[in-house]
Amino acid sequence: MLGSIYVTVAVAFTLTIGILNFLNFTIPAIFMITGVIAWAVAAHWLPLGVDGGLAWPLAFIIGIVAAVLASLIVERFTFRYLRIRHGDATEHAIPLVSSLGFLIIFENLVLIAFGSEAQAFPEKFKSDFYIGEIIIGLPQLMSLAISLLVVAFLSWILKTTNTGRALRAIAENPDTASLLGVDVRRIVPLVFLFSGLLCGVAGVLFVVNYSDVSPYMGEEVGTKAIAAMVLGGLGSIWGAIAGGLLVGLLEALSIHFFGADTVDVAVWGTLLIVLILKPSGLFGASRIGKGKL
Amino acid sequence: MLLEINNLDVRYGRNHAVKAMNLNVDDNEIVAVLGANGAGKSSLLKALHGLVPVHAGSIVFSGDDLTMKSSAERVDSRLALVPEGRQILVSMTVHENLLLGGYRRQGSTLLDDIESIYERFPNLGERKDSQASVLSGGEQQMLAIGRALVARPRLIMLDEPSLGLSPILVDQLFELIKNLRGEGISILLVEQNIKKALEVATRGCVMELGSVVLEGASDSLAKDSGLVHAYLGTQN
Repeated sequence: MLGSIYVTVAVAFTLTIGILNFLNFTIPAIFMITGVIAWAVAAHWLPLGVDGGLAWPLAFIIGIVAAVLASLIVERFTFRYLRIRHGDATEHAIPLVSSLGFLIIFENLVLIAFGSEAQAFPEKFKSDFYIGEIIIGLPQLMSLAISLLVVAFLSWILKTTNTGRALRAIAENPDTASLLGVDVRRIVPLVFLFSGLLCGVAGVLFVVNYSDVSPYMGEEVGTKAIAAMVLGGLGSIWGAIAGGLLVGLLEALSIHFFGADTVDVAVWGTLLIVLILKPSGLFGASRIGKGKL
Repeated sequence: MLLEINNLDVRYGRNHAVKAMNLNVDDNEIVAVLGANGAGKSSLLKALHGLVPVHAGSIVFSGDDLTMKSSAERVDSRLALVPEGRQILVSMTVHENLLLGGYRRQGSTLLDDIESIYERFPNLGERKDSQASVLSGGEQQMLAIGRALVARPRLIMLDEPSLGLSPILVDQLFELIKNLRGEGISILLVEQNIKKALEVATRGCVMELGSVVLEGASDSLAKDSGLVHAYLGTQN
């Protein structure tokens, strides 16, 4: 079940859209970069130096660091650049397009470096256990716990810290935030740092559960995460969590009852029906637009 | 001199909002800036707080040249702006709004200061954990001023604070402005309510098309209110 990965990526989307009103299309690539870099480190470079026990955590950490760096690069050259040149970047669709450009560039750089086939990790994480007749993968259970823990920590930061309040102030009104002394330009990279971190964690969870990486591994997860975010309620962190779990559940159920081909129809069909009945999503506030976080 | 504005020029594209403006605010002074809509009053305050760039001229505040400094640095120099329309953060609680007012402050005295805001405005104290969106217009104005006070400003700039308030609340507001001056805070007051503004102000000026066209002690401006109204295009 991909639920926990959808949750984490959906929250990454929610951060940039909730605070900056920016649908960051590069997120799937950032998720992918974690997996591919972790794989590259584990498969090619680490056996030369580090051995055994430390190799995996180290590969994952390097993967997550790569994701955060990639996310900050995107901030520097889409969001900040446009803000400096054209004022309020949140009013433009241009960052959206340039983030799409980064998605394609990142994917193709990885393709040039490692080829287009899926690469398997040298080792699988297998430790399933049974409750009655239900198979529960230990990695899956851990994934859910880790993703919820990371998201809960993030939401605690947003709720109670000075920086979190500043971010929420920017979400509601960047002008008010700056007149209170919030240095918007300095604090915006934090949003990208957090969302990069979430993508990194999601990438690691994906690798642990599926052991395959490829340049396009982010696309399906990314689009499903967008669906999850909108399903749960745009701009709400708890909505993104609920949406992610729901999309994971919908997938599992539709595979079980109707076969693997029906998955996308089930997920996107449900999304469209929910949006017709309740345009703000299942758990979204009634306000649609900027500043909901 | 607390605030010196020298030959200030503010432009938005082709719009020349403030033209070579000179104005000073002394310690313990209330200066009223009057003018019709579009005279450049809000642009002046935004430029003073670093929210729009200055095209030419300089802004000196308590001896520091702020012209090229960021809004955040101006908050550090203890200059505060209560913007037009209050701009309360309605998705947050009253208490969170006040905490953000002290965003640039270090140390433990912040909560004491917020407590004293609750004493000054008991309505806010009663609703400290409510969303700011449930406050009435008058309470929102109190919150906006309270939020500015938490930053311990030496000068507060108020942009149309009486707009949309009932006559009783307007009286309370101007009483508060007078009291703030008594506490050693200077005020730059942009107002449509000429009579009230000139009652509390020590000096006043009238802006037209981005420049000061009339300036003087507020009692003499009040005496000569016909002239003020002529510039503003309003009825005496």
